Amino acid sequence: MKSLYEHRFNSVDAVQRECASVKYIASRQIATTVYLAFNLQKPILIEGPAGVGKTELAKAMSEILQVQLIRMQCYEGLDESKALYEWKYGKQLLYTQLLKDKLSELMEGAKGLAQSIERLHSHDDLFFSEHFLEPRPLFKALHEDTGCVLLIDEIDKSDQEFEAFLLEVLSDFQVSIPELGTISARVKPLVILTSNNTREMSDALKRRCLHLYIPFPDAKLERQILETRVPGLSDTLRRELVAFIQSVRTLDLKKQPSVSETIDWARVLLLLSAEHLSVDLVRDTLNTFLKFEEDIAVASEQIVGMLDKAREEAALAHARNA
Amino acid sequence: MQETLEDFFKALRGSDLDVSLTDGIEAGRALSIVGVADREVLRHALGATLAKSLDDRIVFDACFDRFFSYDLFRKASGRTNDPNAMEVKTSESQDVRHEEESAPRVGKGQCAGAGGGGGAQGLADMLLKNDQAALIKSMNEAARQVGVTDIWFFTQKGQYIQKIQEQMGLKDLNQLINGLAGNPQAAGRVTNLKLARRRLFEEVRNFVEKQLAMYGTAPTKRLHDEYLQSQKLSNIEQRDFQRMHEIVRKLAKRLAVIHSKKKKQETRGQLDFRKTMRRNVAFDGVLFETYWRTKVIERAKVIAICDVSGSVRNYARFLLLFLYSLTEFMAKIRSFAFTNTLVEVTDVFDDMPVNQAVDKVMKEVGGSGTDYGQMFRDVEDRLMSKIDKRTTVLILGDARNNHGEPQADVMRLLHQRAKRVIWLNPEPRAFWGLGDSEMKRYAPHCHIVKECNTLKHLERTMDDLLRVSTAAV
Repeated sequence: MKSLYEHRFNSVDAVQRECASVKYIASRQIATTVYLAFNLQKPILIEGPAGVGKTELAKAMSEILQVQLIRMQCYEGLDESKALYEWKYGKQLLYTQLLKDKLSELMEGAKGLAQSIERLHSHDDLFFSEHFLEPRPLFKALHEDTGCVLLIDEIDKSDQEFEAFLLEVLSDFQVSIPELGTISARVKPLVILTSNNTREMSDALKRRCLHLYIPFPDAKLERQILETRVPGLSDTLRRELVAFIQSVRTLDLKKQPSVSETIDWARVLLLLSAEHLSVDLVRDTLNTFLKFEEDIAVASEQIVGMLDKAREEAALAHARNA
Repeated sequence: MQETLEDFFKALRGSDLDVSLTDGIEAGRALSIVGVADREVLRHALGATLAKSLDDRIVFDACFDRFFSYDLFRKASGRTNDPNAMEVKTSESQDVRHEEESAPRVGKGQCAGAGGGGGAQGLADMLLKNDQAALIKSMNEAARQVGVTDIWFFTQKGQYIQKIQEQMGLKDLNQLINGLAGNPQAAGRVTNLKLARRRLFEEVRNFVEKQLAMYGTAPTKRLHDEYLQSQKLSNIEQRDFQRMHEIVRKLAKRLAVIHSKKKKQETRGQLDFRKTMRRNVAFDGVLFETYWRTKVIERAKVIAICDVSGSVRNYARFLLLFLYSLTEFMAKIRSFAFTNTLVEVTDVFDDMPVNQAVDKVMKEVGGSGTDYGQMFRDVEDRLMSKIDKRTTVLILGDARNNHGEPQADVMRLLHQRAKRVIWLNPEPRAFWGLGDSEMKRYAPHCHIVKECNTLKHLERTMDDLLRVSTAAV
């Protein structure tokens, strides 16, 4: 594996191209932000609805840059012992038990408590060295020789204390461990944070990041995404499918279908080897992209109308392309 | 480019988007990396560094479009009316902007100071030739010279229009027109010049209006907010309701953040020794597994009761507004409204947008004939069993009871059972206890009693509340 920054992006277009080569279709905005993040060495904070490819972007970047992807999933109650490091207490204890004999050997000839302690001291903080350190994602990311892509997923789920703790990592790429001192990154990782906006992030965190909002893609972009992700799909079906999904998104739904659901649905249709969308087909497969009972009820009422509209738009898109 | 960027920051700040110094530096670095060749890339690059949320981004995009648009003097340039003009123009105008930055600052002197024939001739020529680039350049320079970015209020418009025109050489143009006026041979030229002068005025006015929209929005808004905050809630008009909602929301959010702390907090480094010993009996007393002390933080339950009767009609909307905002941010809050009998409105607040919800409650619950006694009897019957030492009871009302039975002993019971009883009264403290006000009777049974009839009061009360609640944790 080569180092992170041996890779060079020449321009925004280059980013877009290379993303496409690993099957990630990046909009101009995404590409620009990535290009900047890479050159400014700043973290990216990505917001947007679930399933529009926030996490996917990190995966794509690690593939392009050919470095490891280290992922840290945030949740309520996540603290530094799970994110940064932990002492392997069990191992420490086991070693002291096993080394009892060695210890008494070592202590042989020592007169009194003071001398014994003196002698132990000369052997360093053996038990608080890196041998007994359990590295967690953040520590690993800083320790990586070749750099890495660090994905801090769903940061909004973590607590505010943890968010504050992250600040040092994000701005200076270093962490302080009381027993070992400050550890700086060997190679600055490319950091990507994602948030589903369940709560507002603090200003301090936002200031340290580039902000990127990924909305639902427009029809053209979504077609491109489908083309690379589900290549077997026929042209007409793809156009109809995208137009249909786009109109579903205009409905008043609890959870709108996002790109990942579109892809799922496309795969299902491919399996069923469908050529065209029909009312029955849509009704039977509605549950692949709508995940709530109420949503399915709302959508199934309007299938016929939306399908007609989708066909029209698909034809229009076709005509425009031709 | 530096100055343009600084002006742009100023415009952003004017549109109520904070640009800190570090943001500015980052934006500068971003700019130097991506360059100005591609408008969209530039937009995204600046957007990524300057906008910090989706809302910011919307403001940013609008501001970007306004700031980097150069449609001025275009209507007149009828000759270049090919459909591609727009795209060409945007890139072109950026070049113009660019050149203007790099060009030595001589133009300014020529236009303004050098006066005499040169300036007038220059301006007249530009106008007659319809030299769009030169006109924009001249106008921008004049604008910078008179400091148009400091414009705050619409009353300053006329002044700035005049100043910019003068800076561009209006005086000389006038002289030129006057000089030619007597000359019959130059009649056509005079008409043309007069027309051009007219157009110049229009364009400059257009320009200044745009500048005002860009730089003046936030200061005016801030001033308005300040006014709203210190005004009595009863005096605030209906049309400010939306704005008030935003301000109140911010307040409520701050309160909610304190309550949204996680339930358990591990106090790292403090061993729970008893638990550890007990669990490790299996390992012969060797302490393999450790247990750490945790601190349990309870999420407060809130019961909010709001008076919506005739006597507080003017305040009720805002009290409800505040209540609504609280329900948005807190999970365990139950809201009630009453004129005489207690009505639960939690569901209404959950289901409807703010305006509708408030209207509905006002219509269905509001009325005359306040009866605090009845309300307290309802509280005793229906709610007392739900109130325990984790509950905060928040009462919003003026305690004007129409000389009815006050039922103060229910208040005493509340005080004993609940964690906190807070009473916010919209009347000034001096009026408490006068007439049919029972406030003096209720007040001793509250943990916190506050007069609350402006947003500032509300804010201060919130601060007190937060201090108490953090201390209580």
